[in-house]
Amino acid sequence: MKLNERSVAHYATSDSPADHTGFLRLWGGLGTPPTAGGAGRRCWFVLKGNLLFSFESPEGRAPLSLVVLEGCTVELAEAPVPEEFAFAIRFDAPGVRPYLLAADGPAAQEAWVKVLSRASFSYMRLVVRELESQLRDARQSLALHRRSPWKAGATGRSKPQASEHSSRLENGHSPSKDCSPGGSVEGRGSRLSGWASAEWELPGPASLLLGRGQSPVSPETSCFSTLHDWYGQEILELRRRWLQRAQGGRPARENKDRP
Amino acid sequence: MRYNEKELQALSRQPADMAAELGMRVPKKGSVVKRRLIKLVANFLFYFRTHEAEPIGALLLEHCRVTREEPSAFSISFLEDMERKYRFECCSEEQCQEWITALSRASYEFMRRSLVFYRTEIQKMTGKDPLEQLGISEEARFQLSSLKA
Repeated sequence: MKLNERSVAHYATSDSPADHTGFLRLWGGLGTPPTAGGAGRRCWFVLKGNLLFSFESPEGRAPLSLVVLEGCTVELAEAPVPEEFAFAIRFDAPGVRPYLLAADGPAAQEAWVKVLSRASFSYMRLVVRELESQLRDARQSLALHRRSPWKAGATGRSKPQASEHSSRLENGHSPSKDCSPGGSVEGRGSRLSGWASAEWELPGPASLLLGRGQSPVSPETSCFSTLHDWYGQEILELRRRWLQRAQGGRPARENKDRP
Repeated sequence: MRYNEKELQALSRQPADMAAELGMRVPKKGSVVKRRLIKLVANFLFYFRTHEAEPIGALLLEHCRVTREEPSAFSISFLEDMERKYRFECCSEEQCQEWITALSRASYEFMRRSLVFYRTEIQKMTGKDPLEQLGISEEARFQLSSLKA
């Protein structure tokens, strides 16, 4: 299978933000045979989004390898050498050996396990969806607090909002329940799987939505210009009413409602 | 650069965000438009021969630009070399627009921007950090500063 490798390598070394970096030891995986001494190979690792790159050194110009972190679980593991703070990236795909890695210390190990188990695109998408609906709710409750003539002007928008809200209730689990992002790494040897795998294996909210061919973020609020327009509607409505009143053409009903 | 090809193939079998048979031309000298099954899964665009289970290839959709070339054709090019264009031909203008919209939102970087935007907006409205409630407020990828680079 081909991959646009040159662009991927360019992305790996570009100045776009890295989510985590550090030295790790690597055993096996990606064609490297486990070394006889069991010491593994020490490489510089860079996590960008759902992509884990390795380099010869922090100054390395070209990545040695890439692991796409989709459909995997990350768990603490035993290294071939004692005193290593090891963990494994396991994939559900057939015939795929786990990647065995080790950090320099317990803190680095914990940080890597945490960040790798939440690296998947589907996890990111769940958090975005959750915040999207929180923002919608916040905006709704703000609208409810405003007892003013403009409430009438907002009814034009309330219909799509309501239908979106109910679709969220049908499909949307909170990511905190699905993936336990709040959990911490406690005790070596405890299984940390599930964080990254939940939405992959189960017919979770993401796959339910995606199966229907929907775009990653609901079109209603995903694009900044749409959001801008959305806010703008209220202002336009206010302005329309103000003009109406200024022209003396105000309906009596509105007069009564005004504070 | 080595990459986990088998796992990527497994990803190509996952439910697609978008899928359709489109005409596709790769940026190679003398290449022609061929009928391909195109599948968008997460931030990867897979392309298949129409009757094969394994994809011919995948495009990672980071640092890419999606351009409308004709009413019903678009192209994808990558920051590293904007002249190299993968060209796609759709059945209608409408279909073309759907693909352009979906592809321009498909990157992890787009997700990150959306997340930071929502986070800031919610904080402004409620005074609370929504990520703190999820226990992930410290993560580097969710910080405003991560967008400066």
